[in-house]
Amino acid sequence: MNLDSPGHEHSADRVLLLMATRLKWMVWSLAVAFAVVLGSYWYYQVVRGEHYGRLAENNRLRILRLDAPRGLIYDHSGQVLAENTPTFRLLIVRNRSADLEASLAFAADILGHDNSEELARSLERHRGVGSDVPVLLAEELELNQVARFEVSVLEHPEFEVSASGRRLYRYSDQTAHLLGYLSEPTAAEQDRDPTLVAADMIGRSGVERLRDRALRGTAGERTVVVDSRGRLVSDEDVDRLDAVAGEPVHLTVDLRLQQEAQSVLVDKVGAIVALDPRDGAVRAMASSPSFDPNGFAGRLNQEDWEQIVGAPNRPLQNRAIQNTYPPGSVFKIVMAVAGLAEGLIDPEERIWCGGATRIYDRRWRCWQSRGHGRLNLRGALQHSCDIYFYRHGMKMGIETIARYARRLGLGGPTGIEFPGEREGLVPDAEWSLTSRGLPWYPGETISVAIGQGPLLTTPLQVAVMTAAVANGGFLVRPHVLAGGARRPEPVGLDAEVVAFVADALANVVETGTGRRARNPVVTVAGKTGTAQVIAQETWTRSEDLPLEHADHAWFTSYGPVDAPELVVVVFVEHGGRGSEVAAPLARRMHESYFGASPQT
Amino acid sequence: MRRFRAVSWQLAGSALALSTVGLVVISSASAELTADYVSRQSLWIALGVVVMLVAALVDYNVLLRYAIWIYVAAVAALAAVTFFGHEAGGARSWIGIGGLGGQPSDFCKIATVLLLARRLADSQAPVPPRGGPWVTAAVCALPVLLIACQPDMGGALMFVPALAALAAVTGVSLRSALVALGAAVALVAALWVFALPEYQKTRVLSYLQPQADPLGSGYQVRQSRIAVGSGQALGKGYGEGTQSNLRFLPTPHTDFVFAVLAEEYGFAGVTLVMALFLLYLGNGVRIALAARDPAGLLLVVGLLAFLAGYVLYNTAMVVGLLPITGIPLPFLSYGGSFMLFCCAATGLMIGLDLRRFVNV
Repeated sequence: MNLDSPGHEHSADRVLLLMATRLKWMVWSLAVAFAVVLGSYWYYQVVRGEHYGRLAENNRLRILRLDAPRGLIYDHSGQVLAENTPTFRLLIVRNRSADLEASLAFAADILGHDNSEELARSLERHRGVGSDVPVLLAEELELNQVARFEVSVLEHPEFEVSASGRRLYRYSDQTAHLLGYLSEPTAAEQDRDPTLVAADMIGRSGVERLRDRALRGTAGERTVVVDSRGRLVSDEDVDRLDAVAGEPVHLTVDLRLQQEAQSVLVDKVGAIVALDPRDGAVRAMASSPSFDPNGFAGRLNQEDWEQIVGAPNRPLQNRAIQNTYPPGSVFKIVMAVAGLAEGLIDPEERIWCGGATRIYDRRWRCWQSRGHGRLNLRGALQHSCDIYFYRHGMKMGIETIARYARRLGLGGPTGIEFPGEREGLVPDAEWSLTSRGLPWYPGETISVAIGQGPLLTTPLQVAVMTAAVANGGFLVRPHVLAGGARRPEPVGLDAEVVAFVADALANVVETGTGRRARNPVVTVAGKTGTAQVIAQETWTRSEDLPLEHADHAWFTSYGPVDAPELVVVVFVEHGGRGSEVAAPLARRMHESYFGASPQT
Repeated sequence: MRRFRAVSWQLAGSALALSTVGLVVISSASAELTADYVSRQSLWIALGVVVMLVAALVDYNVLLRYAIWIYVAAVAALAAVTFFGHEAGGARSWIGIGGLGGQPSDFCKIATVLLLARRLADSQAPVPPRGGPWVTAAVCALPVLLIACQPDMGGALMFVPALAALAAVTGVSLRSALVALGAAVALVAALWVFALPEYQKTRVLSYLQPQADPLGSGYQVRQSRIAVGSGQALGKGYGEGTQSNLRFLPTPHTDFVFAVLAEEYGFAGVTLVMALFLLYLGNGVRIALAARDPAGLLLVVGLLAFLAGYVLYNTAMVVGLLPITGIPLPFLSYGGSFMLFCCAATGLMIGLDLRRFVNV
């Protein structure tokens, strides 16, 4: 075992030499290995260096979006109708989560949900959005919940809490149809408009939709330096582009009147339109039933949404413009104007009403079954005699009636800014042939003469028609946006014709069917209407009909009589008699607008 | 005086230069960390210089003579720490020495190389050592298995180049090598079935299926490669490495210290450090070739193979050529006992160099 023993000197040298030779070979292979490693560094640093340099920048820099506060919406006196209230929102970046189910369970626990099903459902809506995009998971977090998400950023880097503005409609369902509501953009909308992100909100109806682009403003961007956990390294921004707040929108609407309109319709189905007959500025536009748009701003889940959409009486529908109804006796205004203008009605000529008459071999009834006796035009309007207008309708013919109806704004769009306005229908012979494939029956003219038959109008069209009488013969363009007025167009009627009808309408309220609109505050002129929903073979009192067959109640009015400032149209679906149901509601509207509300 | 002039200054100088570079990189990489790694590492370097001196002065022949006892002591310490040591990062490999942690596995490397050098040299002599190749194989296997049980697969793996190099230089026949390999596999199987307690098995299994990376597989490799690549030719400069300072890099002061260097000093810095390593290894090879006896040559080859293995694996892992496992970079990575191991190895080589003209 002694290496130094003399006998082994020679063999030890030989072994040493062999080992040295083998070692030299190994050195060569070591050199190759080092060359390979150094070659890789050369490849990644020199050849691909710029590429990795960019990746390092992307790692370090994060672009944060600065949400633009949505523009406020004001009424015509500067009262805020829609504003933004600060809220904490929980966003999730799905591709940062190792186990999405576990992440949702964690969030559900903090948010106090029993399970993560609801969160999973809200994630469903973002299926088409890239998983690296932060998407909304929950809103209106409480401060202690925010704190719990913030401290768990290491274990759950997928969650982000952002403070942002949530839309608040101060008057909730009282301005719902007018202002509309917001919801998140769909994946397709985000594709079309690259400035939209999943957490944005866009206007879906009403003014919110109408002025969406202006209200939205322009989002800004902050470029910041973050560490591997996504935490800000310093408060200083690498780059910053401030958000531009959305523009404010001023409406012509009068908040107090709007509230009154919505509250007089409580428990009723119907619509109220109030506008200024001088320029068409809408002061109130109410539709009932209504909905709470604040629920929409907080994003509805599928169930709630279906409940609202599928509710009886369709609360989302704006009945003032999106539904059409037979106008009933309100149409007698058109009849009077047409008859006078064409010289077919002698205002002093009296016609006998015995409660019923025979025309074209058919028995036609007046709503007043015991008859009105002998009536001239003023009396016929005042008491809304049907027989009088049957006779004159027959004389005028459908073409004349239709021509004047259209000149007064029926059967076509009123031009209000909202999309989706229905045009209604003013029938004539040509329409009958092209749409029904049937000739026009003269008997139908008799029905149209009292606002029945195929005739259909929206409450807003009735308001425009009434405004033309109130303002001395001008067609106004109804509008809700301040500054949206257009010059009223003359209808082309003699001033005396309009003045006569206006005077008769004042009589209607003074002593006629519109008595219930009379009030101590302001003089009112108007016309009642009771539109039949189905043709009745035998007359039945409205109260005795099943609700879906009950008459629609109309009352169109304006005041003050001498210098009209406000047109009010009240429509109550299946409400019954216009004189009994609609006229008192119009009275409350006039009282509210012109001074003393009924409470004071 | 002759001895003093005979000292391999290039070997010691490159080792110190590498340690200094390491200190600079650690100070940049640990700027955001809470502990003061720079002064601790300085302390370890100072301690390392002392160890280097002592190792150079001790006659390696004496060490070879008592190699068996050194080995027994080292393996006993390793066994103790493997089964009773305190856990850090999922593995029991640490013992505390006066507040500074140390790993017996680092000590065990030198002990194993010493004993193997002696036994393999003896195997070439006319009178072979007791026990023959089987005992030699067991000498290799024991520390490797113990380290694997800690479990520190990387540490165990790093024995492979040293053992292979020693076998190759000794001229072990392919048959013997295969027999040794078969024996090692059989031993692992036997240990696994009969000797390992359940919790040890769980640890090994969990090491083999790491869940430690919460951001998905490949995150660390990707971040490390971005750090290296973004350094480009000349680097971003001291303290400017965003990948390390913003903690995209895992363990920037220990296993990924070379990624920080690559990011801040670019390909130029990489080339410089590689050149220093080659200078160091080249001097080591020169010392081995000048050794007066087979045991001395084998001792140097074993130590060099260990160091070269660490350098190659670490640099290849940082650039993404090899899977990531806990392999530090000699002289540059922060760490106490590994620094001492590197210094002791350097000291032994210097001592061998000093004695090439001397008759002992």
